[in-house]
Amino acid sequence: MSASGQGGAPPHSGVPVNGATISVEHVGLDYRKEKEKLPVLVDVSFETHKNEFVMITGPSGCGKSTLLRIMGGLIKPTSGIVKLRDQLITKPRDEIGMVFQNFVLLPWRTSFENVMFGLASRSDLSPEEKKQRALKALDDAGLKGFESVYPGELSGGMKQRVGVARALALEPHVLLMDEPFSSLDDLTAERLRQEIYGLLINPSSPIQTVIMVSHNVEEIIELADKAIVLSARPGRVVGELKVDLPRPRNKKSEEFFNWMDKVYVLLS
Amino acid sequence: MTNWPALPRTLVMPGNVRSGQVISLVEVTGGLGAKVDAPRLADELGWDISVLLPALDAAEMLGLVRSEKGDIFLTDLGLKFQKTSKNKVRMLKDMLVQIEPFRTALELASKKKHVTSSEVAESLEERGFKWHYMPDINERIVNDLLIHWSIYAGFLGYNGKTGKFQKV
Repeated sequence: MSASGQGGAPPHSGVPVNGATISVEHVGLDYRKEKEKLPVLVDVSFETHKNEFVMITGPSGCGKSTLLRIMGGLIKPTSGIVKLRDQLITKPRDEIGMVFQNFVLLPWRTSFENVMFGLASRSDLSPEEKKQRALKALDDAGLKGFESVYPGELSGGMKQRVGVARALALEPHVLLMDEPFSSLDDLTAERLRQEIYGLLINPSSPIQTVIMVSHNVEEIIELADKAIVLSARPGRVVGELKVDLPRPRNKKSEEFFNWMDKVYVLLS
Repeated sequence: MTNWPALPRTLVMPGNVRSGQVISLVEVTGGLGAKVDAPRLADELGWDISVLLPALDAAEMLGLVRSEKGDIFLTDLGLKFQKTSKNKVRMLKDMLVQIEPFRTALELASKKKHVTSSEVAESLEERGFKWHYMPDINERIVNDLLIHWSIYAGFLGYNGKTGKFQKV
């Protein structure tokens, strides 16, 4: 993955420059247990756009991860809709890749086989096309030379790279990431953050939007073009910040600190 | 229209906060001059918001800090708590007995010889208080809270063999 902290708008094809990639419209979710109704998300609305890195945060239990799964088509909302461009999301789609906090790798398969596993259901691709995609995704995720290594032989950061490669192999337009770096050491997490941002701004990458859930306010201000802040349960949008700090962002600067403060003010 | 006086709010300890976290939060805030920005406090403690926000809620509930627009202040009680080494445990005990699940645990343990976390969780659930919708997880959270706070504060003892708490 090419690390980069700056760059202009890449010329991705197929989507109008200012068009919304994902539209979350009045989404609500209730958990039901017998007669009891527990609201988890209430009237959540926002849009993401091409070339945007969107961070979602909020107190524990506010429904951030659930919201991400709704966007990925894994959970159906009780009310409201989510659209990928103009199409309703009702089930997982190849244009939307997901990377979870836990690596969820098959330990008896190599890195290459784990990435191929993600492509198993793609009947539109020939075996050779799948192979080429898997190798390219591993390369893009910084795993060239580690194709035949098993997960047990990889560090936490490398395992997460396999998870990223598996998502990239689908050539998604939108990458959804649920606290992907929270279990990694600081240095590895920092490197991967920059590499994911590099993928967003790389013109040859299919990724147009990254939406990441995070509890780490420094990470949010380091990466976000837009930060969506949710309230405590039930999760409602209490703030949408357009973080216009120039990149690369200096974490030691007063401006950076002031942006972190804005997030905390919304959270408190 | 009648303006009714506000009813006292039932205070409920966040399920994942431990006494050591609140004590650290108060100590660090005091060490930074009794007023600190939330980002600075998070940085000093090395916590992300999944740890900081519930710990702040707990410290506010105990009356030790006040947070306002991203700033954290030690209250007079918080200053007193930070300065004392002898009376910390006693002060904590006085505060905790007003907060659930400690209040109910103490009440039940006063009526009977022993109480289990399951009995405390059930009694609280009957009154509409629970930390998790799954009963076994809810009971686990109550058990962890009682072990981590009540034993430290010295108002409940615990017998690990029977899984029962008794009043000290």
